[in-house]
Amino acid sequence: MDTKPSHSNRRFRSVGIVALALLGVFAVVATACGKSSSSGSSSGGTVKAAWIYVGPINDGGWTQAHNAGREFVATQLGSKVQTTYKENVPEGPEVAQVINDLIKDGNKIIFATSYGYKEAMQAAAQANPTVKFEMATGDSITLGQTVPSNYNEYYGAGEDSLYVTGIAAGKATKNNTIGVSAPFPIPEVIRGINAFTLGAQSVNPAAKVNVVWTKTWFDPAVERQSAESLVSAGADTLFSHQDSPSAGEVAKANNLPWFGYDSDQSGSYSSVWQTAATYNWGPFELSEVNKVIDGTWKQNNYYGTIADNFTGLAQYGSTVAAATKSAMDAEVAKAKAGDAKAFGWYWGLADRQDQDGKTVITKGQTLTMKDLYTMSYFVKGISGSPKG
Amino acid sequence: MRRFGFRLEPRSDLPKWLPWAVPVGSFFAALLVGAIVLGVTGQNPLSVYARIVDRAFISEGAFSGTLVSATPLLFTGLCAAVAFRIGFFNIGGEGQFVMGAIFGSGIALKLGADAPGVLSVAAMIVFGAIGGGLWALIPGILKARFRTNEIITSLMLNYVAAVIATYLIFDSNSFWRELSGSGAVFPKGKVLPTVAWWPKLDFGSIIVPFGFLLGMVIAGWLYALQRKTRFGFEMRVVGGAPTTARYAGMKPTRVVVAVAALSGALAGIGGATDVGNFRHILDPKGLQQSGFGYAGIVVAALARLNPVAVVFVAILLGGITNAGYALRGPDFPAGLVGVLQGLILFCTLGGEVLARYRITRSARPSGVETTLEPA
Repeated sequence: MDTKPSHSNRRFRSVGIVALALLGVFAVVATACGKSSSSGSSSGGTVKAAWIYVGPINDGGWTQAHNAGREFVATQLGSKVQTTYKENVPEGPEVAQVINDLIKDGNKIIFATSYGYKEAMQAAAQANPTVKFEMATGDSITLGQTVPSNYNEYYGAGEDSLYVTGIAAGKATKNNTIGVSAPFPIPEVIRGINAFTLGAQSVNPAAKVNVVWTKTWFDPAVERQSAESLVSAGADTLFSHQDSPSAGEVAKANNLPWFGYDSDQSGSYSSVWQTAATYNWGPFELSEVNKVIDGTWKQNNYYGTIADNFTGLAQYGSTVAAATKSAMDAEVAKAKAGDAKAFGWYWGLADRQDQDGKTVITKGQTLTMKDLYTMSYFVKGISGSPKG
Repeated sequence: MRRFGFRLEPRSDLPKWLPWAVPVGSFFAALLVGAIVLGVTGQNPLSVYARIVDRAFISEGAFSGTLVSATPLLFTGLCAAVAFRIGFFNIGGEGQFVMGAIFGSGIALKLGADAPGVLSVAAMIVFGAIGGGLWALIPGILKARFRTNEIITSLMLNYVAAVIATYLIFDSNSFWRELSGSGAVFPKGKVLPTVAWWPKLDFGSIIVPFGFLLGMVIAGWLYALQRKTRFGFEMRVVGGAPTTARYAGMKPTRVVVAVAALSGALAGIGGATDVGNFRHILDPKGLQQSGFGYAGIVVAALARLNPVAVVFVAILLGGITNAGYALRGPDFPAGLVGVLQGLILFCTLGGEVLARYRITRSARPSGVETTLEPA
């Protein structure tokens, strides 16, 4: 069948074409390689800054807020800065490669925005003393571990916003049962839920909070299921401490008041939207980049507050009662009246008991960052285990 | 096909060079198609490709980074290649990798900081192999005994393995979990004692993880096993013609079970490598995000199930993955990296068709449906 001359001719021709194409591609890549070797150093007068994200920049939550911070820095500094980012970077051995790439590209300050990058950031800081490393949500400095001096950690009192949010939840619930979808049983989340519960109890002492752990930051399907299970267990108000707004769908379907987390979803879920605790990363990151530019950068273990505009609240929903709004605004005013370093003004308003009735905070006590970073108990009124 | 006046005709003569020229040609075809995609999205294809080559292989430390990405792919690639060769479609490399990581980290933690490093590393390899092998035996035995579809069973067991790993770190106070220090703040695995950290061999400018060398040796051994031994011969017969194998007095079910265990053991050693050479802790979320098991299937397909070729394909895909991190940024969405990777796979598998079949013009008028002629 294949002895016909026309067939073998055709085959010969196609082999020739492929071979030529290969040669061409090789030649082009080789010459282009030669040219590219000069890239990578930062050009005069412009500082290069980079961000590493765990999710996509349009996740509707955590990473989106971080990217807004980067855009803020870029707009404020204009030609003085050149920003870049790496999205969807897994928390594993790959981070080290990503960081190395960013350093090779001439970045002088690197913001890493997920806890799992911490070890790689510290190792890179050790190896690259001329680059500044900023670790969002890191806890090594607070916990007294040794870290390189060009490595810093920053975060903020999201729990303070959650306390204010809790006030609206305490007012919104009719059967005194608030359902919370929570990601991981870690101090960051635990103290947030505690503050939210104390806020709710401050206006409604009978309010009870049910917690369901999703064991994920971002998984719309799982988040949705957890919200559904909370509703079927009797919750008439929902709070999802998650990165996606999918619990809002459940709230919408059941027409229940809904609190989001770290992004403003008032537009898409207007019928049920209450408010959310939000983070405003930009101003802090801007000041850090500025300090790199003028050479005054120093490790500062930053913990942002409502007073210095690091944490805040998303727009209140239209269904939030006017009296509730003013109660919330009064708390925000209290937070703003304090010194910018003050956080957690509410913890010591009374003796606080954990779930077993043991007193864990005494009246008048001020919690330190270390207290917050190691909080592992739930306060009274929460059902669910702080161990997951 | 015939409707368009063309048809696929199996090739009766396979020139020796063709099976190798086709994947290589397809790879470059993918680059050409990729160049069009890049051009349309406003990128300069030449500088993108130059940056890939630079950041995957050329610039300082790039090749070392590529080997980090290539090492797990090497093992999961071998896992898929060995199993697919006999027609046992093990999709469970992912779960077997995780079980290898659990077993490997478990024995390293058990031996502790006082054990000699050589012993710890050797034990991790053995236990990793056992973990992955046992996990693959489940679909292997089910297939041999009850003719269960191994694609389904091995795939489902991936989810079970992921849940077990998550349970050990997030949902229990297991032996693997760190409960003091920063482990009290965020659930995480115990860090392996440094004696159990696998060495990284420094060849001047290139740092080669010990796991990668181990994988290369295993690939060579597998090649010899398949070509030179009686068991290798049985594998080929069972893979090609199970009925013939039975007539020849072989026991296909036994071969299937043995190969399933071997395949799983390979992925399991990969899991032990991941913990021993790179992460040094059992990290369920990181493992889940990486998806090495599924990528291994791609590696095996591109390597035409040849264990030695798996080494090179793992380096190639590892390089693209590594360079992918360098590429992505404000002007280059992460998805575009995936598109390039997908194009390479698509073109190579498409090229596979051209290697086996030739396209001929239909002799009969188009539009007439007839039954297929015998080849």
